[in-house]
Amino acid sequence: MTTPTTANRAEKLADWADSRLTIAAPTRRLLNKVFPDHWSFMMGEIALYSFIILLLTGTYLTFFFDPSMTEVPYDGSYSLLRGVEMSRAYDTTLNLSFDVRGGLLMRQIHHWAALLFVAAMTVHMLRIFFTGAFRKPREINWLLGVTLLTLGILEGFTGYSLPDDLLSGTGLRIAHAIMLSIPVVGTWIAYAIFGAEFPGTEIIPRFYIVHVLLIPGIILALIAVHVGLVVKQKHTQFPGPGRTEHNVIGERMYPLYGAKAGGFFMLVFAVLALLGGLFQINPVWLYGPYNPAQVSAGTQPDWYMGFLDGSIRLFPAWELRFWNYTISPILWPTVILPGIMFTLLALYPFIEARLIKDRASHNLLQRPRDVPVRTSLGAMALTFYLVLLISGGNDIIANKFDISLNAMTWWGRLSLIVLPPLAYLITYRLCLGAEQHDREVLEHGVETGIIKRLPSGEFIEVHQPLGPVDEHGHGELEYAGSPVPKKMNRLTSAGRRVRGFLAPVQDPTEVQDRSDTERALEEQVESGERRELAGRPRDPEL
Amino acid sequence: MTTSHDESGVPQPHPPVDPEELERLPMEERAKIAAEIDGVRIVHRRERFPVPGTKAERRAERAVAACFLLTFLGAVAFTLAYVLIPWQYDPSDSAYTWFTPVLGVTMALALVGFGLAAVLWAKWLIPEEESVQERHEGRSPELDRRTTAATLVDGIAITGLPRRSLLQRTLGLSVLALGVVAVVPLGGLIKKPRDDLFRTGWRDGVRLMTSDRRLVRPGDLQAGAIATVFPATQDGLTTQVVADSVVLLIRLRPGQTARARPGQEDYGWQDYLAYSKICTHAGCPASLYEQQTGRLLCPCHQSQFDLLQDATPVFGPAARPLPKLAITVDDEGYFVARGDFPEPIGPSFWERP
Amino acid sequence: MTDDPSTGKGSARRPRRRRLRRRLSGTLALALALGAVGIGYSTVAAAAAPPKSAVASDAPAEDPIELRKGRQLYEQGCITCHGKNLQGVQDRGPSLLGVGEAAVYFQVGTGRMPVARQEAQVERKPPRYSEEETLQIAAYVQSVGGGPRLPTGDLRGDDSNLAEGGELFRLNCASCHNFAGRGGALSAGKYAPSLDPSTDRVVWTAMLSGPQNMPVFSDNQITPEQKQAITNYIQSLKEERDPGGSSIGRLGPVPEGLVIWVVGIGALMLTILWIGAKS
Repeated sequence: MTTPTTANRAEKLADWADSRLTIAAPTRRLLNKVFPDHWSFMMGEIALYSFIILLLTGTYLTFFFDPSMTEVPYDGSYSLLRGVEMSRAYDTTLNLSFDVRGGLLMRQIHHWAALLFVAAMTVHMLRIFFTGAFRKPREINWLLGVTLLTLGILEGFTGYSLPDDLLSGTGLRIAHAIMLSIPVVGTWIAYAIFGAEFPGTEIIPRFYIVHVLLIPGIILALIAVHVGLVVKQKHTQFPGPGRTEHNVIGERMYPLYGAKAGGFFMLVFAVLALLGGLFQINPVWLYGPYNPAQVSAGTQPDWYMGFLDGSIRLFPAWELRFWNYTISPILWPTVILPGIMFTLLALYPFIEARLIKDRASHNLLQRPRDVPVRTSLGAMALTFYLVLLISGGNDIIANKFDISLNAMTWWGRLSLIVLPPLAYLITYRLCLGAEQHDREVLEHGVETGIIKRLPSGEFIEVHQPLGPVDEHGHGELEYAGSPVPKKMNRLTSAGRRVRGFLAPVQDPTEVQDRSDTERALEEQVESGERRELAGRPRDPEL
Repeated sequence: MTTSHDESGVPQPHPPVDPEELERLPMEERAKIAAEIDGVRIVHRRERFPVPGTKAERRAERAVAACFLLTFLGAVAFTLAYVLIPWQYDPSDSAYTWFTPVLGVTMALALVGFGLAAVLWAKWLIPEEESVQERHEGRSPELDRRTTAATLVDGIAITGLPRRSLLQRTLGLSVLALGVVAVVPLGGLIKKPRDDLFRTGWRDGVRLMTSDRRLVRPGDLQAGAIATVFPATQDGLTTQVVADSVVLLIRLRPGQTARARPGQEDYGWQDYLAYSKICTHAGCPASLYEQQTGRLLCPCHQSQFDLLQDATPVFGPAARPLPKLAITVDDEGYFVARGDFPEPIGPSFWERP
Repeated sequence: MTDDPSTGKGSARRPRRRRLRRRLSGTLALALALGAVGIGYSTVAAAAAPPKSAVASDAPAEDPIELRKGRQLYEQGCITCHGKNLQGVQDRGPSLLGVGEAAVYFQVGTGRMPVARQEAQVERKPPRYSEEETLQIAAYVQSVGGGPRLPTGDLRGDDSNLAEGGELFRLNCASCHNFAGRGGALSAGKYAPSLDPSTDRVVWTAMLSGPQNMPVFSDNQITPEQKQAITNYIQSLKEERDPGGSSIGRLGPVPEGLVIWVVGIGALMLTILWIGAKS
């Protein structure tokens, strides 16, 4: 409990700030902001928190790392490399791993956080895609998000190339070849970035500045705009009782949402600390310093570049030669293909809006089953991506599962063409089936599992109707975009299930049949203050 | 009282509240009014423990407190581990390998405690609440749109720019020019691609040496053997030279014959062949030699070169054979190159014929 | 989390608690039982497996009794595919003339020979012959056709050679066997095996004999001192514990990516579902 003196002190401080900044009303508005509380809305937070952890651990690493490519003989603790000539970048990375107390933990948390950052952005992006949160008015945020994803991938690539070890150095060689493959200006680009013929002495210091200054700065700014837009436009929400296109129902930022968000940050950090301590990642001392004559079997980039490794492995050896010029076969899988993929990704909201002629604003989300074409397109794209990702590791899969390497390559090439359309068809049918089942349950009620024998001798299953029925016994409720209860314990129009996560904490008889929210909003309908209750917008203009 | 809208959708201001009267209300009421001023209606609030001081409430509080204690204990353990556990690399005693895992686990415990405490506090002790907030989205009210437009247009009109075409053109020109000034200094980065794309460290008369600076004689390799060799120059083992000059010397098995393209039939020496080790696909060292099949596999993208067929790619994404180095044996019996590669090594590029 | 402290219902709690306790104890009992069976089996299986071939005494090259025993063993188990005079049999087995003791020690000592079936590559399996018998067959083959001999003496050398061993390993071996000797794929179903089960002698004889598609690394190319360095490096790597936690296979970024998705995103998704659940 705050004592009078503490309260006075707090008041004095607040007064000091407010007299100078006039922040009372904006603060109150921020604290009262309502956030809808579906679990799938928290995935973007994982990305945000892991980025903060990247900044913290990364700053620590910069105190010890020297990006110079000057060669020195190793003189540290790790005896298996003593005397070996290596760049200062590699030397200082070994120093961090073996001669700085706790340095290895920081390196590992940093690297795991990088993998988590991109994974979280991907999962978050998928949620946005499959629920239609990218539609007007949120196309700008979608573009920002795709940009952040691209920057995150580039940041990771520049980051893991800094230690100048055998694994990442091989990746740099391939990056150099990709630059060379660009027609007309390829060699100029490669020379400009590397400063000389491969490898030169400039690439690591340049990557360092890009990795610790340029890209993090841009990412920070874009994250601020991205989150700012969510605050301004308010978060989307799923359709449900009382939820309309014009309101947000959920929890206020302070104290409930803020407490959960703060707690979640700690939990994300905890997962990363656990990973950083228990799972070794990027053991550069095992790889050895970069030497262009050496390479390891099973050379792969970090997972978020894996799809590019897959595409370059699968693409056939089609080189174009004409007059005195050559177009390398790696141009198509590593430059053109990702260019097309990311462009389509970025432009998708506009493409979809144009195709279905939808110019309305949407604040309510869609269940994936209710937009079968988009969901199936997404499944198709995901299948394409996954085949590429798996093919990026096809030599390790071949070795571990006793599959011929040549067969893995052919599997990848064929699957790339055959599996995506198949995924589309299957997903489409699944969506339609789910939609139909929703409407069937709305019409015929929930299956109770109780079998009854009629006097005529016929066996029927008793169905529990969800609402009022007409003279034929068919339900009169229309589908409103929110989940239809399919089980008896999910009944009540709010779909309010028995509470509890690991075990029930309520008696089923205690579950209220209508939430207070709906009651309150129903009163408004009756009093004429509100025009609609269900989740469908009546006014196409809004 | 809610915030209502008029016909144009403009949010109506909340009826005025006297700050002095506000002070007389209980805190919860004040917060509710504050929320309503912001267009938020708290429609449902339920204390988790309507009857204060029950055993259940104390249990919940103790659970949250226990989580905070876990943080404390985790932090203490972390600090002790950091200071006490041996962490320096020691090849004879692997106790140091516990340092990082213990640090990670104790740090995680400290963080988990706090995180759990915060979430459980929210779930078990803070009143359950549901609020409704009005969105005020979409087009701005008509008045705002028109007044903003008027301000912008009037501002431009005042400058006279629309009717001063001379200023328009010179303004445009100078903006472009400033852009150029900003970009031109990047020219310092630009370097002309030199002919080192077409040259390596090999010359006529340069001997072959291994990574420990031993010169190579025939007989050093058995049949079916492969060796990585470098130009026997002073800088032959530096990264820069190795990156384009590293060569694979192979000795064929008895019975294996190698086909060569026209003009390169004499590039090998007896049953020895020398190829560039840099893969023509993306530049990795192609070094997985299968001595029975004569195939060289590159581990990066699985290009396979048939060294018996002029190092032609027979599988995978590589499109060009590995360049061959012409070798012979000099008077002292050491392998020596007869010149540079006849074509650029490594991945293709635009200017490559 | 078993009880919602806000409900005061004691009687409703108890049956739920009992059920949960029963479920937990049942699961625990099952886990313990499975664990016990698993541990028991692996102990028994390990005991039943033939002992790993340790580095034995010097090769009994010229002892006529050993040679005769070797010839007998050869004529029982090897002659069908490799011929009476070690000249090889068409479509069944190559000639053994000139392969030497080293090749026989490697192939027979690691159980690759006798081969179980014709396939892309012969697999290591529990050896059919004991160490003594292996050396006898090796001596016999050596006496007929000559070839690389068995290495003797100190096969690892001084620890000061570790750094050089690492450099040589990365230049000559890592491209097939991976940076930590975990193995890798070759073309069309062939592979470079993991070096985990290989003893010093197996490593040496592999380098000397170039089994199957592995190139030959004779003593002129990689000197005995260099072979010591490479062997010492390989075995030291195997003996070294990973300082950063579980090495997840020492296979590089592929298992790392798997871990971040399964463990990282998995744990966090469960956390999100828990936080978002109504309580």
